[in-house]
Amino acid sequence: MSEIPDNLGYTKDHEWVGPDKGDGVKVGITDYAQDSLSDVVFVELPNVGDEYQRGEVMAVAESVKAASDIYAPISGKILAINEKLEESPELVNESPYGSGWMVLMKPSEDRSALLDSDSYKNSLD
Amino acid sequence: MSLAQTCLHDNHVRLGAKMVDFAGWHMPIQYTSIVSEHNAVRERVGIFDVSHMGQIFVSGKDASSFLSYVTTWDVNKLSDGDCRYCHILNNDGHIIDDTIVYTFSNQDYMLVPNASMISKVFDWLNLNSSKFEVDIYNKSEEFFCLAVQGPESLRLLRQYFNLPIAPFKLTKSDDLIISGTGYTGEKGYEIMGPISESQKIWESFLEMGAIPIGLGARDTLRLEKGYLLSGTDFNGSQTTLESGYSWVIDWNHDFIGKERLLVQKKGEYECLSGILLEERGVLRPGLEVYFEGEKISELTSGSLSPILKRGIGLSYLDMPIGSTVNVSIRNKQLKGRVIQTPFL
Repeated sequence: MSEIPDNLGYTKDHEWVGPDKGDGVKVGITDYAQDSLSDVVFVELPNVGDEYQRGEVMAVAESVKAASDIYAPISGKILAINEKLEESPELVNESPYGSGWMVLMKPSEDRSALLDSDSYKNSLD
Repeated sequence: MSLAQTCLHDNHVRLGAKMVDFAGWHMPIQYTSIVSEHNAVRERVGIFDVSHMGQIFVSGKDASSFLSYVTTWDVNKLSDGDCRYCHILNNDGHIIDDTIVYTFSNQDYMLVPNASMISKVFDWLNLNSSKFEVDIYNKSEEFFCLAVQGPESLRLLRQYFNLPIAPFKLTKSDDLIISGTGYTGEKGYEIMGPISESQKIWESFLEMGAIPIGLGARDTLRLEKGYLLSGTDFNGSQTTLESGYSWVIDWNHDFIGKERLLVQKKGEYECLSGILLEERGVLRPGLEVYFEGEKISELTSGSLSPILKRGIGLSYLDMPIGSTVNVSIRNKQLKGRVIQTPFL
């Protein structure tokens, strides 16, 4: 059973968006996504300053077997990337909601398009 | 079309394996993770169900001369108990399949073709057997095959069979054929026999500590060693010379495809080469290879080496070892070096 924290927003493509504390929102992939990918061995992240529309490919997570696109879960600008993933992509598997976060974004839209944890959970069933 | 299942299919499902379609078979690609399974084989010992592979028996007065004619190796030179890796070629010198010839006696042999090539190899052998006194039986559906691979494999084999088995040698124990062979580059063994015995052996080796390994790690293990994958690194239009496996040819005997190889040998040809990525990234089959801005080839195999933690791939190239090439990944040109395999 995959972990789905209550305080995050989700997409049906298995990205999560952290709470907005005024200095941007963290974005990553869900526990379900990391488990499906298994063994993340390489993460290609966007450049700081890049802007994305919701649904655009902004990163790629590669496992031994396959590459998976990661879509911007919310429109906005990249404020920072998790540089630790360059050396340690396995953090995505070990801690998808913690040290395996991918980017910090400044949203340019509200969170109304995101799923809450219950809706995301239902989308997995 | 429904997928074929090996005799151990339900065991894999019970272990929670991720199952995929491989060459028409419903096979485990991984039980836990490809990287941990890969490392288990390199460091300890793993067990693979490769019962989808074939067992074709060739016997009779002319068995050794027949097999010498249809493979790149002079089978007449093999002694009882020898296992020899070689290629089966068509008249153009193109590889139909790679196989190991198991020598029970000079009138009794077994070939182990790849799953997707069993009927093709069987038909090809029959097509070319008219001048030879041989019997050819396809017993693939009656046999299981388990590969026990890794530095601790000998200990487990001794514990279970209490028999000495040297590398590239085979021994028989009741109905079972046990050989010092495998496709991981580690010390290892393969056990074949009637499917009724598969459960007991699978369960016993798991109990003794062998880790179940899926086809995902089988692919990364063989790729680190530069071993060919049938249907991927050759698909009916490459010769043994092009595949870089000239060592499987015994030139001092006549075999199907030899004339074409002799002609090719005199000229220049592309050769399957290793590409080691010098930047971060994962190589994939089909990625394009560039030299000085021009596309020169595509990768046949590609992955990330779990041991080297670098992108590795294979490609047919006419480039000297040590050359720098670029591999195009998502419209980025990443630098790679042409190297002599194995990678590890």
